[in-house]
Amino acid sequence: MTSFLTAFFSGTAQGAIYALVSLGLVLVWRGAGVVNFAQMGQAMFTTYIASQLIQHDYSYWSAFVVALFSGAVLGALVDLGLMRPLTSRKNLKSLNSESMRTAIPVIASLGILGILKSLAGIFWAGEERGFPSPIEPTAIKIGSTNLAITGFDLFVIGVVFLALGLTTIFFTRTGVGLAMRASALNPEVTRLSGIKVGSVRTLGWAISGTVSSLAGLLVTPRTNLSPNTLDLLLIIGFTAAVVGGLTSLAGSVLGGFILGYVISFVSVYSAPENVFIAILIFLLLALFLRPQGILGSKEVRRV
Amino acid sequence: MLVVTDLVTEFSSVKALDGITFKAKAGLITTVIGANGAGKSTLLRTISGLEKPTSGSVKWFDHELTGKSVEAIVRGGIAQVPEGHAVISQLSVAENIELGGLFRKRSHKGDLVRAKREVFELFPILFERRDQQAGSLSGGERQMLAISRALVSRPKLLLLDEPSLGLAPLIAAQIINIINELCRSTGLTVLLVEQNANTALAVADHGILLSLGKVVANLPADELIADSSLRAAYLGY
Amino acid sequence: MSKSISLKHKVIGRRSTLLAILLFLFFIALSKQFDPYNQAQLANIATLLIAVLSITLLTGASGQISLGQGAIMAVGGYASALLVTRLGYSMWLSFILAIFVSALFGLFLGLAAARLSGPYLAGTTLVMALAIPSIAVRFEPFFGGDVGINVDYGNPPRWLTSFVGKISIEEWSLYVVLPFTALALFAVLNLSNTRAGRTWRAVRDNEVSAALAGINIGRTKVIVFVCASGLAGLAGALYGFRGLVGPSVYPTDLSLTLLTAAVIGGLRSIGGAIFGTFTVVFLPDLIERITSTFEVPGAIANYLPGLAIGTLLLLTVILNPSGAAGLNERIHHRIKKTISKSGGH
Ligand SMILES: Nc1ncnc2c1ncn2[C@@H]1O[C@H](COP(=O)(O)OP(=O)(O)OP(=O)(O)O)[C@@H](O)[C@H]1O
Ligand SMILES: [Mg+2]
Repeated sequence: MTSFLTAFFSGTAQGAIYALVSLGLVLVWRGAGVVNFAQMGQAMFTTYIASQLIQHDYSYWSAFVVALFSGAVLGALVDLGLMRPLTSRKNLKSLNSESMRTAIPVIASLGILGILKSLAGIFWAGEERGFPSPIEPTAIKIGSTNLAITGFDLFVIGVVFLALGLTTIFFTRTGVGLAMRASALNPEVTRLSGIKVGSVRTLGWAISGTVSSLAGLLVTPRTNLSPNTLDLLLIIGFTAAVVGGLTSLAGSVLGGFILGYVISFVSVYSAPENVFIAILIFLLLALFLRPQGILGSKEVRRV
Repeated sequence: MLVVTDLVTEFSSVKALDGITFKAKAGLITTVIGANGAGKSTLLRTISGLEKPTSGSVKWFDHELTGKSVEAIVRGGIAQVPEGHAVISQLSVAENIELGGLFRKRSHKGDLVRAKREVFELFPILFERRDQQAGSLSGGERQMLAISRALVSRPKLLLLDEPSLGLAPLIAAQIINIINELCRSTGLTVLLVEQNANTALAVADHGILLSLGKVVANLPADELIADSSLRAAYLGY
Repeated sequence: MSKSISLKHKVIGRRSTLLAILLFLFFIALSKQFDPYNQAQLANIATLLIAVLSITLLTGASGQISLGQGAIMAVGGYASALLVTRLGYSMWLSFILAIFVSALFGLFLGLAAARLSGPYLAGTTLVMALAIPSIAVRFEPFFGGDVGINVDYGNPPRWLTSFVGKISIEEWSLYVVLPFTALALFAVLNLSNTRAGRTWRAVRDNEVSAALAGINIGRTKVIVFVCASGLAGLAGALYGFRGLVGPSVYPTDLSLTLLTAAVIGGLRSIGGAIFGTFTVVFLPDLIERITSTFEVPGAIANYLPGLAIGTLLLLTVILNPSGAAGLNERIHHRIKKTISKSGGH
């Protein structure tokens, strides 16, 4: 029973983080038609920024805010400086092939990933370092019995739910949120409604940068920080996004939690080494059984 | 007044518009007819900025439109209802309408509320269906929604691309009549593209016949209706 | 009409044979100038070139991206190692069979990845690449865990040593790899001129019009992926010739290196693949030489190759999406234009 509860609670906390990563990926995929493989590289970079600040005696919370903000800036910069020019009309005309056009942004994002990792290695020497958490990761006690959940898990779950709640309000209750949904669904009609689809897209990159930066802040207290630590998270996030349906924001969050449970139950009941195989099998099964994902729309192809 | 001069729009090798020149008077309905592939859609898309012309000019009163972005053109009071009932089917009816007025949300809050009320009065069925997904509407309702989306931006010039496409004749006539009334009562300028010449020309003041990217006739609407030889030559009926 | 086409075919066929043979001779000539280390590097290039060609084929001919070509190499590598160590097959036969095993694997993956539309292939192959160590450990008795499988593909046969004298193991590996490289090159060069090659390009350029022309998009994409997987598997098997097949031989970075080689050379061009492979193999060496002369601290020097490769990728897509080969073409074009202009005056 205890091992079940342990797996359940740690699955919820991990799943919450995966949900953020997957949400970040889906935001950009829907908005710009790009799977941003540099996403967790960006998050790694901003987590290093926070870590630097903390080492220089700034408070955890100020570092937290700065990291989220730099996540937004970095995301916007990737779009403005790279993706937008790459996908501009003029540039695409020179590539007289449809599928090349979708390949180019992917390659660009891999380039960014490589550069961010090496820069982090060069700036911050690249050895693993710890990253603090505002709440100790020790089990919560009632009387003298340990519960299967730590204070840090609760903190992670709380922060993620707050973030998801804010995102939901943003998308369903605000005009900008409506504009973002609309331009992801049908850019042409959105432009004909007088909305600057380009700016909306950049905003999507910025929000994606912020959520993934948050994921980085929340996951590193457990994993330590090095230029490569977050690679794994990207893969899990991608799988979660595919499982949930690449086109659905709610699906991406759901997929994140599902993957959290899969991973945590496999590592508790089987062995941590088997986690990867589990992810792979899960991904292949999802692709075979339901290629459009749990909540994704039937139409897999983007036109 | 809309003045189009020597407009040329090309797609790689095809000249979809091959030197189009015409005027559309403010407050009136100008109808553009032509067979499949004549360049009607391309004409509207070039006016609204979706396609960039190779040469020529489009002027709305004193403003040159070529070279401007779509958003700027829309914000300047020119709204397009694209071909094929273009609404965003995954959004609700209310959200589609909201979208059309979104860019005026800050500056004209009060008027936006009024504009939304007006389109619901114009198309009461949309009010009943306001929380339904736009994808679940019938073809006619979808066309009404597409027009409403354009109208809440309070356009001065409305570009309509085959609003009767795929609709039952009765519904098509109803939609055309609503456009007609709107034009007469508010002074809205309308550029209406249709393949089905009869209903569209019946309400129009002026008619333009396109063929292979060129203007082959530019006449008052009633004269164009009467000219059966032109119709036989270019539309085949 | 049809006669002229077949004539052209023959010319191209002859030309690609010539090119493959020339490359073969070039490598051998080059190897004679090299010390064993660089001979091994040359064998590496010849091996990786096959894998890079598989990406050129996949992305260049059909527009799909694989971020886990290294994982498919691993499939080929393990297949051939197991055939040799468990079943006692001969090396050459195991290499050939590795092609089929990995092609079969590619078929399975291709069918899974939602018939390879959108970003599914890129992500799925990346997950594959990361899962290799985990699979090797899970099935340790079979795949040999973290370490992998030691294979001894044997020494150069006597007839060869009696013919060319004593040769180092590095040089021998080069001799083993080169014929396959030449064959792969020949196959890829010819493929692009066949009916199949044209079909693939049509799919790459415009799926909608290809579909309208009656091409089955899904099937075509899977077929391309299967062919590319076969090539990558061959490269993986040859990569194991160095004596070990294991997770450390096919790391995730390998997949990215291969993609980089294909991209900077130009995804559509076979010459580009050759150029790109040379670049990614020798660039780290070059950087190391530079950093050691300037005494750059190790903590920084470790990251310079990654930085260089990332920058190269970005610069390629920004400045010249068709890669080095495209640049070459463009320069030619410009020169021609300048000449014709100055001629007109
Ligand atoms: N995006 C495009 N790319 C290439 N060619 C195009 C494109 N859009 C239109 N064309 C071509 O331009 C010409 C005019 O097309 P257009 O859509 O303007 O015709 P239309 O008069 O609206 O026809 P329909 O009545 O069928 O809607 C056609 O030959 C068409 O094939
Ligand atoms: Mg049309």
